Amino acid sequence: MEFFTGILAGFAALAQPDILLYMVGGFLIGTFFGAVPGLTSVLAIALLLPLTYSLDVTAALVACASIFMAGMCSGSITATTINIPGAPASMMTALEGYPMQQRGEGAKALGHAALASMIGGSIGALLLILVAPLAADAALLIRTPGKFALIAFALVVIIISQRKSISKGLIATMLGLMVATVGIDVMQPLARFTFGTGVLVQGIDMMPLIIGAFAVSELLVQARNRSAHTVDLQQVEAPPIRRRDFIPPWSEVREIGLYRYLKSAVIGYLVGTLPGAGGSMAAFVSYAEAMRTSKHPERFGKGTPEGIAAAEGSNNAMCSGAFVPMLTFGIPGDPTTAIVLGVLVINGLQPGPQFMDSQLHLVAPMFAALMVSALVMVPLTLYLLGPYFLKIVSIRRDVLYSSIAMIALVGSYVATYSLFQMALALIFGIVAYFMRRQDYPTVCLLLGFVLGPSLEEYCRRALSISDGNPMIFLTSPDSVFFLGLTAVFFYFMVIRKPKATPLPS
Amino acid sequence: MSLQRSRDGRLLVPVALLLVTTLYFFEAWQLGPPMRNGNMTASFFPMAIAIIMYLAIAQVIWRILRSPPERETTDDHAATRRLGPLWVTLATAGYLLAFSTLGYFVSTTVYVFVLTLLYGEGFRGLPLKLIASVIITVAGYLLFEVVFRVRLPTLWSL
Repeated sequence: MEFFTGILAGFAALAQPDILLYMVGGFLIGTFFGAVPGLTSVLAIALLLPLTYSLDVTAALVACASIFMAGMCSGSITATTINIPGAPASMMTALEGYPMQQRGEGAKALGHAALASMIGGSIGALLLILVAPLAADAALLIRTPGKFALIAFALVVIIISQRKSISKGLIATMLGLMVATVGIDVMQPLARFTFGTGVLVQGIDMMPLIIGAFAVSELLVQARNRSAHTVDLQQVEAPPIRRRDFIPPWSEVREIGLYRYLKSAVIGYLVGTLPGAGGSMAAFVSYAEAMRTSKHPERFGKGTPEGIAAAEGSNNAMCSGAFVPMLTFGIPGDPTTAIVLGVLVINGLQPGPQFMDSQLHLVAPMFAALMVSALVMVPLTLYLLGPYFLKIVSIRRDVLYSSIAMIALVGSYVATYSLFQMALALIFGIVAYFMRRQDYPTVCLLLGFVLGPSLEEYCRRALSISDGNPMIFLTSPDSVFFLGLTAVFFYFMVIRKPKATPLPS
Repeated sequence: MSLQRSRDGRLLVPVALLLVTTLYFFEAWQLGPPMRNGNMTASFFPMAIAIIMYLAIAQVIWRILRSPPERETTDDHAATRRLGPLWVTLATAGYLLAFSTLGYFVSTTVYVFVLTLLYGEGFRGLPLKLIASVIITVAGYLLFEVVFRVRLPTLWSL
């Protein structure tokens, strides 16, 4: 009961003008970053990270939550109108939205996307509120060997979910682990990999890595493009959109059915709890499932609202699912929750099994922001800004990227007043740029860096408990459970690879 | 020759990581033996990471050497596009050097102006780019110094 009172207090906190401002501002920023091809909500949250040093933690978490939710649904705007997904999670939406746009039903497609995002996001937030305390209770049962096995499970799943190349995912993760070992050892007062310099003794901060990997590397990637605008409106044919066209017909909503909306939301939420999965996998799994079980599978790929509902409902529900392992186990499964973890760490907070109880007053407004963003902000933003979306996302690249560069670099300076941090951000940016050019996933780099210290600490602690006997990992039930789970995932994702679902071209 | 060059391009990241890993392994070795009295020491994890890294890099290099060469771009603007990231890197490095000595306003205005040249259509619309640079710099000042109350460096510490 106390928990639900705390959650209600979180909703009340959103009514405070400053917190509300951060939620609305965050949502608008997330919408912009999610809709502009090349920008992502991860980049928006990464740019926000340095500011959280001088920001109230509740406001920062609320802003992060609304950016995350907005970024997930706004990718559908350019996916539908010009067939360029603003975010990877909207690729499945483009398959159905763009054919509808070509039939003159673009506004209706956006309306379906917003409705599904609204339902999926709200159900996801509700599941987070209901399930997170149970997950936290379960997390209390996990002892030191089990914690090691759980983090190892997360890292293995993150690596094997890199379908393009598992080896490259492994390399990126190991590089993250290598960077994480710089500084004082996790168990004894011994400096490692400082190369005789004092500046590395404290270790490498998460902030320059995030700014480098997600902001500076994007600046370098975009420097290869010399177009004047982010979207060239002269090359796309998009008829003007009227507000009244956004409202999807009730007959089509009924045809999609409540069950489809609920199922997509649950799929998205569950995918979100898996490490490394993300919005694109949630949308893909849900879309494939919708196509498999639909009464009209022949309509998929030709512009069916059912496909849009499946993809968008799922990727928005994923946002809330991704918070479960981060808040209850302290294990982020995707870059956004890793950055949110960074926000908490910067403020001296460490998520774990008791975090929800002890810091409910801080996370409850974030839960509320996820719910309100999905339920209110998604339809409201579409209604108010929908007709102008294409003009908004067609921005001058010189102004956009020079602004991002300024915020990223000055932000990395003001966080610690250190030019060294700025230089590190540039170095990580260059490294991430070359990695991205050759398909090495930077997400693995970040998650390896974030999870590395805990992996080492729990492994060494477990072995000290057992006087160096590694059998502790096979005799401890929680450890055996997670090692078994790792083996199951490895078997199904690597040895017996899932059959590729034939998607519409 | 073109095949060799293409492969060399793809080998850049794994070879660079190989060198970094070797340096890392050497440093880990200096920390002492990986196990002492049956317990892991500070060097165990780094050594294990380095060994896994070596194996993964070896596999990636093996795949690159066995794969067919990538087709080279014959686009006229390819060279310009390739140099874009280099110019941005150099501009950013220059900005880092100038930031504390020239202060926020001067260094940021110049940096943003250089970036507007690199991210748009070069010198077209120069007055607009100059105005945009000043506006972005002032907006940054208002965001950091006024809204978030963070002290930015100034010229001659004025």
